[in-house]
Order: sequence, then structure tokens, then C-alpha cells
Amino acid sequence: MEGLYAFCVGLLTACGIFLALRGRTFPVVVGLTLLSYAVNLFLFASGRLKLNAAAVLGQSEQYSDPLPQALVLTAIVIGFAMTAFVVILAMRARADLGNDHVDGRLPEAPKPRLPRRTGGQ
Amino acid sequence: MLSWAINFTAAMICIALILNLWRMVQGPSIQDRILALDTMCINSIALIILYGINMGTGLYFEAALLIAMMGFVSTSALCKYLLRGDLIE
Amino acid sequence: MLNDLIWIPLLPLLGTLVPLFASRFSRSACAFLTAGLPALALVLVLQLAPQVFEGETVRQSFGWIPQMGLELAFRLDGLALLFTLLILGIGLLVVLYARYYLSEKDSMGKFYAYLILFMFAMLGVVMSDNLIQLWMFWELTSISSFLLISFWGHKTEARKGARMALTITGAGGLALLAGVLLIGNVVGSYSLHDVLASGDLIREHAAYPVILVLVLLGAFTKSAQFPFHFWLPHAMAAPTPVSAYLHSATMVKAGIFLMARMYPVLSGTELWFLIVSMTGLATLLLGAYVALFKHDLKGLLAYSTVSHLGLITLLLGMGTELAAVAALFHIINHATFKASLFMAAGIIDHESGSRDMRQLNGLWKYMPYTATLAMVAAAAMAGVPLLNGFLSKEMFFAETLHQDSLGSLSWMVPVFATLGGVFSVAYSLRFIHDVFFNGEPINLPKTPHEPPRYMRVPVEILVALCLLVGVLPTFVIGDLLYTASAATLQGAVPEYSLAIWHGFNFPLLMSFIALAGGIAVYVNRKELFQFQAQFPENDPKLVFEAIIQMIHKQITRFMELAENGSLQRYSYMMLSLAMVMMAKPLLDLNATAGHRPQIPVDAISITGAVLLAIGALATVIWNRQRMVALVALSVVGLIVSLMFAKFSAPDLALTQLAVEVVTVILLMLALFFLPQTTPKESSPKRVARDLGIAAVIGGVIGTISYAMMTRPLESISTFFLENSKTGGGGTNVVNVILVDFRGFDTLGEITVLGIAALGIFKLIARMRLYMPASDGDGRPWSKDSHPLMLSVVSQSLLPLALLVSAYIFLRGHNMPGGGFIAGLITSVAIIQQYIAHGVDWIKARMKLDYQLMIGSGITIAALTGLGSWFFDRPFLTSWFDHFHLPLVGEFELASAMLFDLGVYLTVVGATMLILANLGKLTTSERPVLKEHD
Repeated sequence: MEGLYAFCVGLLTACGIFLALRGRTFPVVVGLTLLSYAVNLFLFASGRLKLNAAAVLGQSEQYSDPLPQALVLTAIVIGFAMTAFVVILAMRARADLGNDHVDGRLPEAPKPRLPRRTGGQ
Repeated sequence: MLSWAINFTAAMICIALILNLWRMVQGPSIQDRILALDTMCINSIALIILYGINMGTGLYFEAALLIAMMGFVSTSALCKYLLRGDLIE
Repeated sequence: MLNDLIWIPLLPLLGTLVPLFASRFSRSACAFLTAGLPALALVLVLQLAPQVFEGETVRQSFGWIPQMGLELAFRLDGLALLFTLLILGIGLLVVLYARYYLSEKDSMGKFYAYLILFMFAMLGVVMSDNLIQLWMFWELTSISSFLLISFWGHKTEARKGARMALTITGAGGLALLAGVLLIGNVVGSYSLHDVLASGDLIREHAAYPVILVLVLLGAFTKSAQFPFHFWLPHAMAAPTPVSAYLHSATMVKAGIFLMARMYPVLSGTELWFLIVSMTGLATLLLGAYVALFKHDLKGLLAYSTVSHLGLITLLLGMGTELAAVAALFHIINHATFKASLFMAAGIIDHESGSRDMRQLNGLWKYMPYTATLAMVAAAAMAGVPLLNGFLSKEMFFAETLHQDSLGSLSWMVPVFATLGGVFSVAYSLRFIHDVFFNGEPINLPKTPHEPPRYMRVPVEILVALCLLVGVLPTFVIGDLLYTASAATLQGAVPEYSLAIWHGFNFPLLMSFIALAGGIAVYVNRKELFQFQAQFPENDPKLVFEAIIQMIHKQITRFMELAENGSLQRYSYMMLSLAMVMMAKPLLDLNATAGHRPQIPVDAISITGAVLLAIGALATVIWNRQRMVALVALSVVGLIVSLMFAKFSAPDLALTQLAVEVVTVILLMLALFFLPQTTPKESSPKRVARDLGIAAVIGGVIGTISYAMMTRPLESISTFFLENSKTGGGGTNVVNVILVDFRGFDTLGEITVLGIAALGIFKLIARMRLYMPASDGDGRPWSKDSHPLMLSVVSQSLLPLALLVSAYIFLRGHNMPGGGFIAGLITSVAIIQQYIAHGVDWIKARMKLDYQLMIGSGITIAALTGLGSWFFDRPFLTSWFDHFHLPLVGEFELASAMLFDLGVYLTVVGATMLILANLGKLTTSERPVLKEHD
């Protein structure tokens, strides 16, 4: 089982990093989300894998390590706040700069600021 | 008898999940994919309940409850997006 | 308490704040108040002076980082006393002087604050009893002098001069730090007390030459010794009170002070003599010669200062005890006459509008009183008998005759010294004659007149001192000089005589040669000026600026290479570095798998892994169709929470599920304003490279987690498991850790959450975005904004969800759940209402102030923590007890629950503040169908 788990962590990391290396904001945010899944799973695994051993006293004979769980729990919530911040930053960048590039390229020509425009690119 | 039933059910649910995945990957429309996701949630609920029965503990049933709730919210949000684009108006 | 030594530097430090507040009063009041605390410090010094005169070294120290040999230590011995008196005394005179010098436009408060800050730094340098501490104050003098020189920041020369001074003295400071660290290494202590006692140890150590050169680099740069002298003339762009203070009495004397301080440790070797005295001699001659040709009054004084500093350095370099005494004597004399000359130059500049000696002529008629004062001070500088400069100069001449370290060439030293004296007389004469006589003023911007009465007072006091010391040396400063010499030499003080008249001897002859020669040079100055004019002007400023520009250009080029605004490049570089750094430990790991027994694989797990893998890959493959990627991402999130549930972490599963939904909703809210698809941009090469990096790092992380999971674990969690019930009163150990054992961390975390939400709130404000009028495929949006079915179902969901949330919250301490999860569930329930009914519907029915919610959440949590103080317990100590109520039965109350309530409120507030405000962006203006034809 440990091998399978490690495979999942590795795959999530790889997918997350690949997406984080894209040149637009949205794939980067999605990539970061995947990466934070991987990181959370990795941190959680530092308490080792145990079946049916929830760290609730009196519910089972043996207990899994509660400390990584507590850390990961807050990490998930803070991770959400971080994702939200990045997303809003991306939107703000699009509002102020008129594009969603993060690859340092400048948009071809400054587009006229319309109050409404049709969707997509 | 119970363990046999559990194993059989687990196998069926796994097949169902794989089929859901197939629909999710295959599409072809975004509605199909959302439906696949929603069905996947339902199968997950079954899987968790089954796991609880197998292990003889009720600790995980809240997770099932939450998937039921969250699955609904998620699906309705996705649908709202398809309809109006704007979730909160 | 005020007897403590530390108050002497501490009072000026507090005093830096005074002018900032006092600047609102009148200018005189501001100056008066500013002077208060330094004056008090001076009183403290005087109060301690008798002890020091008795030969005692007053010391005081406080532990700072004792493990590293760092302490906050102060000492007041003769040398420190001499310098503290100079710093505080002249500092107070400068404060008075600056009151009249600064114009209405200058910010007086800022000026005084910088000045007093500098005073504090200087006091720290001279009073430090620890070398590291001395170095820190040393650097502080560089920084505060930078602020002072660049006080008139609108002038280019002020900025450039300040930058040059900071660069040179700062670089010297780094050399000094290296030297100090080496000394600490050799001696085993940074305490000056220990260092001064181990002179032999250091001098015999192999590292002695390195230490000497490094320390001297620091001293020479600070004291403007050749070849680092060029910053001092450019620092003349500072306001004149600054020059009078920093460039006569204090800052430039810091280097001299350092040499005097380290004299018992570093001097007495051939190397010391060669470096120090030769540098001093070169500086003495160069400064005196160049000073003669400067047309700028302050330029002349600056080079004259360079020359006199060279003289003192030369004296210290000679290594004889009498020379050291002479050096200390000249420090005092130079400080008095040079400070008064700078002030006089400032008065002339202030009242006539010019400092150019080609314009300034015949001022005697306009300001006879100031002229008299300036002439006396200049005469002291030239070394005219009956003034203090004469005495120390004669001691200097006497010492040059007595040294023989250059072997058969030793005669050169007195000859060069006399030559320096000649030029010194010549430029002093030029200062007097050109400015006050020599015809009429030419094209002055103002008609010169005498300055305000009190602007002259500091000059009067200093000139009076020049005279007093010159006539009655033993009476005025005999004791001070003696104790300072004793402290410098750290041993017996040789016999010396401060009398004015020693009979006809060689030094007297040299003095007369210098006087006569100086007059001769000045009379024939025209030929000399013509000769000098043949040389091309070699301005060190231009060379310095060119070097700075070149460095700047190189760095800019490098920065452009590394920092081009592309996140991809930064990530790429960071990840590559991570790969390189991970390589070594991974290669050292001899086996991937450890010995911990592994859990067998079952079919359900494989199914889960397949779902996760396909979901993650689908997210990547379809990343350009953003909506599809989002659905695939949801699959991954679902499986991750199932994994948490399977591997015995129900709390995590619940949290992950709730966060998952919130994240997806957030991403959809954002996606509405962003392009629906990502254009194909990456070149195949780029994709291949990224795939390579991602695969390698993914493989490495997978390997690490496998290696980690298959090795046995020594966890500190046994403590938590054992004490959870007895100490924290809960059986759900994860929750008890969050709200009790590590409650302080959680408090920090919810604070971060709140801050992040507020930051997002501010970012959202006034954001203007384009809203698409149709979906990605061009289909118009549905006209039904709130489908009935959704509204009805959602409305019935709300009480149900709130009930679940309350249940999860209440049982959290003993069963999976708690504030975080309950908060997220509540948020999701409310968001569902927003989705189903819209903002206006909610606004009419629920009056929730999310910012208030965050604030009260954090406050409740913090107050719960503070509450334990009332019971004399440490912060966040929890309390719990069991109660019995009829009908309800036994139940438990714990203070941790209140803390958890704070967590709950913060999570709800933060999540809702983000999502609801993001959602509200669209409510004011909604695109309509007909726009899209």
C-alpha cells in the first residue's frame, strides 16, 4: 500500500508542478491546488499509514499519529486562504493590466477598456 | 455471509466508480462530466459506509454525510455556472 | 539609578525622539529641548570624572547573547572620558550653532534627530567594552553620518557625497568586522578588557599581519587617511554644523580613537610603524599641500583636517609613548580649533552667501568680531605660540626627531614634518588673509554682516579654550591628558612637560622654519598656483562615480537576466536548485525501502489510485479547457479526502471535503472573469522541459515519501495520546492538539486566515473586470437567474446544514469534528443560499458582518487564552469539568470549547468575506443578452 500511496503523491506533485509552470494564471492556480494536495498527503504520511486507527481515544486498539493530522488540518484551511489570495491577485492583475500572463510577456497592444465585452479571449 | 456481501458490494462499487471515470473522461459534453462527478460522490458515500461496516466503526459516517451535502452543493454550483456563468448574483 | 554608565549613551538615544516632537514649538524651544538630554548625559560624565581621574576604569555590562560572547558592555576610562567630553561638549555647542544656521525651510526636528542619533552612535563607539558592540556602533556612525551629509537631499553633490562617505566607511567597517572576529578568535573573547590584556598573544600570533591590516583599513577609511581621504572633501556638501561636528571632532576621530584603543594590542611592531606612520606622513603632506589650492573655504578646511588626521596617525605610528601622548594632545587641540573654524566658515557662508575665497575678500570691515575669532583659531591651526596648536605641534616635532625606525633615512621624517608645517602655515595664512583682508569683496550675493549674537557663542567658547590651553596647558587639561594617556598606553605614562617654553631647541627651530617658510610660500603663492594649474584636474569623485556606475550596470545586466518578470523562469530556477540540493542526500540513501511492515494492497485502493491518477492526468491534459479541468480537479479532491478517511484521519477527510467545495466555488467565481480557455502558447521544447522537471521532482517526492513511510517512526505524539483525556479533557486527540496543546499555533493560524481574508477584501475593492455575456462556446446565458427548484431545495438545506455544523462543532472535542470543520460547513451552507437566491435576498434576511465576525473570533480565542492568566496559569492553559443536568445528563464544559468557537467564527467570517465579496462583484452590473449579437 505504501508504494501505491507514494506513487499517488509523486504523480500529484508532478502534475502540480507541470501546471504551475504554465504561462497563464488559471493553470498555475490549479497546479498549486494539486501541489497542495500532494504536500498535504506527504505531510500526513510522515505519521505513517495505519488502517482503522483514528486518533480518537477508546475507538480502536492502536492510534495513528495525531500530530501530522493536526498540522495538515490547519494546512488545508490556510492553503485555501492562500489559493484564494492568489486567485484574487490573478483577477486583480487581469483587471489592472488587462491580461492574465505570468510569463513576463506584455500583451501585444493595450486593448481599449470596454465596460462589457464578449467572453473568452 | 456478511463479509461475502461486503466484498461483493465493494467490487460492484469499484466497477461503478471506474465506469463513472470512463464517463468523466469520455464526456463528450461538460454536463456528462458533471453528472459523472456527482455519481462518483454517491458511490463514494457507499464506499465509506461499507468501509465503516467492514471495520466495525462509525467514525467515518460523518464523512459520508458530508460528501452527500458537499456533493449537492458542488453539483448545483457547477450547474449554476453552466447556466448563468455567475454563481452569486 | 542614573549612576549607571549605560545612561550616558542611553540618554542621547532617547534624545533622538525629543526634536521630532519638539519641532512643533518655536525653533529656540526645539533647540533647547534637544540639548536637554545630552546635557544631562554630560553631567553624568562629569560626575563620574573624578573616579576616572583616580585611575579607575568604570565598567558596566549586561548579558546579551552570552553563548556567543556577546554582551552589552560599557566602560569609561581616560581615553573614553576624553572622547565623551569632546562628543558631548562640542555636540551641545553644535546644537546651539545649528539653531541659527538652519533656515526656515530646513526641517529642524529631522536635523536634530539625526545629529543626536549620531551623538549616540559615537558615544557607543568610545564607551564600548566589547569589540562586536564597538563595531555595531561604528557602523551606526556611518549610517547616521550618511543621513546627515545627505540632509540637503535635493542637491546632487549632497547625495553623491553621502553615498561616497557611506561606501568608503561602510567597506572599511566590514574590514574592521573581519579583524574583530579574528581578534575574538585569537583571544577567545570579544571583551575589550580581555583583549587589551592579551597584546603579546595577538602580536605573536600568525594572523597578526592580517588582523592589523583589517583593523587599520577600518581606521584609515574612517579617519580619511591616504588613499581613502577623498570622501572627506566631498562630505563637505553637508550643512556646516555637521562638518563642524563630524568632520572636526568626532566621526573622523573615530578611526584615530580605534588606533588609540587598540594601541596596547597592535602597536610596537615594525609592521605597525611602517604602515601607520608612513600612511600618516603621506596623508599629512598631501592634505596640507592640496589644502593650499582649494578656493572653497570648507574645501580648505577639509583638506586641512585630512592633513591633521595624518599628523595624529603619524604620531600614533611612531610607537613611542611620548608620541602617543602628543597624539592625544593634538586630538583635543584639533577638535577645538577645527570645530571653531568650521563654525566660522559657516557664519561667513551664512552672512555673505559665498564660500569661495576668490569672492570673499576684506570681510574684516563687515564682521570684525567674527574675523578676530576666526583668526585666532586659524593661528592655532598654524601653530603660532601661545595657542594650543603650537604646543602639540612642538611635541610632534620633538617626537619626529627622536624616532629612528627608518634607519639611516630617519632624518627624512622631521624634514617632511617641517614641510607639512610650512604648508599648514601657508593655508592658515591664506584663510586669514584672503578672507578678511586682500581688498574688497567681489560679487557677493549678500552684504556681509555680523551673525546673530548667540550664533557666535559656540565659536567664542572654543576659541577661548584654544587660548586657555595654549597659555595654561597643565592647569586646563593636564589631568585629562594624563588619564587618557594612561588608558591608551595601559601602563606607565612617561614624563612629559606641557610648558610653553622649553628653551631654544630643535623643535622650536622647526616651528620657526615652518612659520617663516609658510609666510614665504603664501607670499609667492601666485607662482605655485600657476605651477599647480598645469596638472589636469583629477577628481576622485569622477573615478568613484565611474566605478559605481559600472557596478550598477553589471548588476542591472545580471538582474535582467535573472529577473525578467516571468514566473515560469523563477519557478524553473527554484525547482532546478531544489533538484540539485536533493540529489546528494538521495544518493547517500542506500536503500529505498525500509524495514517497517507494509500494508497489503487491496482492490479498492487500486481503484482509488486509478481514479486519482486519471483525475490528475485529466486535469493536466485538459488544462486549456478550464471548466473541464475544474471537474477533473474535483475528482482528485474527492479521492484525496477518501484517502484521508481510509488511513485513519476522519478529521482531515471532513476538512478536505469542505475545503474542496469551497475551492471549486472560488475558482468558478474567478473563472467567470477570466478567459474560459488557455491559448496554446508553450513551444514543444518548453513542454518537454517542463514535463522533464515535473517528472523528476514527482519521482523524487514519491521516492522520499516511500522511503519515509517504510521506515519506523519515533513520534513525540505518545505524550499527546496519553495526556489528551487527562490534561485536555477530550478524546479526539487531533482536536485537543489544535485547541489545547498547540493552541498558540492555532491562534496564529486563524489570525493569518483573518488577515488573508481582509487582504483579499481590500484587493477586491474597486476591482473593475470585464464580464462575459455568453459562455465559452458563445451560447447566451440562461435568463432564469434563480431556478425555482434550486431555491427551494437549498432553502431546506440551510437548517439541516446548520444542524450538522452545530453537531460537528459540539462533539469536536471528543469525536471527529471541531471549529475548523464546523465553520467550513456553515460557510458552505450560507454560500449555497447566495448561489440559489442571490445577494439581495440574503441581505434582506441575514445581517452578517463578516469582518466583525473575524474580529470577534480572534478576540474570543485570544481572550480565552488570556483568561488563564486570571488563574495564574500560562497563556492558553485550558480548563474543563463535568457537570450533571437533569434531562440532558452528564456533559462536559471546557475552556477549549470557547477557543474553538473563536476558530469557528474566524473560519466562517474569513470564508464568507472572500466568497461573498467576490460574488458581489457582478451584482451591480450584469451583461445582458442583446450585447452579444
